[in-house]
Amino acid sequence: MAEAWWAVARSEEVTSAKPINVDIGNQPVVLWRDAQGIVRALEDRCPHRRTPLSLGCVLGNGMIQCGYHGWTYDGATGHLKDIPNLKSDVKFPPVYRAIPFAVSETGGFVRVCLDANAPAPLPAAVTLPLCGTVNVALDHEHYIAALFDDPSAVIGIRGVRFTPYLLAELAEHEGKLVLERSCQWAGLHWPSPFSSDFPITLRISTDPVTGECDLLLRDDGFHPLLSATLAPVPAARGVTQIRWRAKLSDNRPGMRAKLLGAGPPFFVRSNIDGAALRVLKPSASIHAATLRNEIAARTAAASAA
Amino acid sequence: MLDVKDAISADDYVDPITADPREFAAKVNAWVPHDIVLKDAWFPLAHSFAVTDKPVRRAIYSQPFFLWREGGTAVAAEFHPADADKPTKSHYSDDAARYPVIEKYGYVWCWFGDPANAAPEHIPSIPYLPEDGGLPLHMLGTVRFDCTAPLSLENLIDLTHADFLHADVVGDEKMDKETVEVFHDSETITMVRTCVNKSVAPIMKIFGGVKVDVQQVRQVIRIYLRSHAAIAYGRFSPGDNVQLFHPCVPETRDRTRLDYAINTTNVKKTNLFRYMMPKASYKVSRQDSYMTSPQSPRYMNPEKRKDLHSPLDEAGQKYRVLMLALAERQAQGDFAYRDNVSADCSQIIGYDGK
Ligand code: FES
Ligand SMILES: [Fe+2]
Repeated sequence: MAEAWWAVARSEEVTSAKPINVDIGNQPVVLWRDAQGIVRALEDRCPHRRTPLSLGCVLGNGMIQCGYHGWTYDGATGHLKDIPNLKSDVKFPPVYRAIPFAVSETGGFVRVCLDANAPAPLPAAVTLPLCGTVNVALDHEHYIAALFDDPSAVIGIRGVRFTPYLLAELAEHEGKLVLERSCQWAGLHWPSPFSSDFPITLRISTDPVTGECDLLLRDDGFHPLLSATLAPVPAARGVTQIRWRAKLSDNRPGMRAKLLGAGPPFFVRSNIDGAALRVLKPSASIHAATLRNEIAARTAAASAA
Repeated sequence: MLDVKDAISADDYVDPITADPREFAAKVNAWVPHDIVLKDAWFPLAHSFAVTDKPVRRAIYSQPFFLWREGGTAVAAEFHPADADKPTKSHYSDDAARYPVIEKYGYVWCWFGDPANAAPEHIPSIPYLPEDGGLPLHMLGTVRFDCTAPLSLENLIDLTHADFLHADVVGDEKMDKETVEVFHDSETITMVRTCVNKSVAPIMKIFGGVKVDVQQVRQVIRIYLRSHAAIAYGRFSPGDNVQLFHPCVPETRDRTRLDYAINTTNVKKTNLFRYMMPKASYKVSRQDSYMTSPQSPRYMNPEKRKDLHSPLDEAGQKYRVLMLALAERQAQGDFAYRDNVSADCSQIIGYDGK
């Protein structure tokens, strides 16, 4: 958790008008944009009297000011810069600081790493235009398992039905957990258990630590129809916060593929049907833990060498 | 045990505040207010008007207190008179399950602790409240905080927060000079904040008829530690004095009840401030709660990281140390009052009867 980059916000959500609060597990984080437009992240706890800094405000100079007694912090370092009532120019000793976190903004996501010195992740090539944020009362691990076992439990794609059949079971590809599922267009047709071939597939490629997923819907001609990124982050009380972005491909051959654009093509559920989830058979997700452990062990061995 | 003078002469009591600064800092940072439960104190559990023939229920640290009147006299009991199956009584009440009660300053005060130690001289002195009550109802009210009582009091004694949290009621931090002085004994702490040419409180501008832009301010907060009761006395020139009694009753370790009295009888009857100032509590208390409510769970357990302090926090730090000192003494079985809380404190708070 400490070294991972968590996509805790979409770029649109972070402004210099008002700081926002997010969390990474049990760690509350305050985010805002400074005077240069750079996103800053500090522990959401004023070291003076422990109140959330997100209840304060962003000053014109881009620093964050606690709403309780006005202590003012620099976002890059977390250093205390001003106690307004002191009316003096004294420099504060270095222990007078809020804990800063590393921030990286790319591809329309704001990612935070709890290790302030972590090297920045690779920049994204594109920013997908459609986006949203959803809070789900299901913990991070089970959320990702549900996505693997039956995507319809957590997401939906316009006019697409996910079948129980996989073209590739969960396996590691270049450090990611990847699976590919057969899909049908919704509507009346020959039942999936008796179908020889399926017109579309959904490929899910998941980061083994953060669970951040790239989704790719393709037709049987290998034309990409829809790409999406789903970023589930463990939040307080077992809630999972999901930020997502998506884009429809411009050229989508076929009537059904064109109709993907007839309304919002992609959504993430905010309510999960507990009755259905309880009886959802663990299948594609069964080996996820083993695969993650293998990857983690290999990464650890590599960094030790 | 209750003989105050004896206790002072015959012991090796060390003022926790004059002790070694390192030890002082260690105590300040060992502050877990949620764990402090002080005994042998009077708590103002209800405004006098709220206690009638029909019992009302109050609580101190979850201990039940039922208050009603018998032949006009306020009484307090551990059980509701209609409670048929009397549960086992605690040692906080007498054989008849009654608590010691005194009615003073327009409040019904109940004793929390050993009933044998209850004595009228442990009721705090509140110079600007009439001893036999009788303030009009619009000067009295109740507000609640979902935080531990010591955090509410720490909030009160640290007035620099007002310039940020309550700027729209009492004015912002702009002023030429600010000084904070702190006095204490073993049972009380008093903070005096003086501001030179401070922005006029908006409430005084709007309702108080103050026309100028700056005013001279002297604010006093005096906390009676055991009773969790505070005096907030402000002198404003130009402007009217503010005479607030601010008792923070710990209903549970994480919930606070404030039955306040704000005596504005000193303000002219034609001045709206007389009627509006008491109502400001409703707004101001929600602003405080906005901060103290998220603070409270963060002060429930010992915390390795020290809070950071500024020179303006002297009073709050001393409040912590004095509370801890009382708690430590009580843990060792010493419940005596070393200082007299009922002695008139007019001089200390700078109240001249006007
Ligand atoms: S708690 Fe943040 S300035 Fe005091
Ligand atoms: Fe306040």
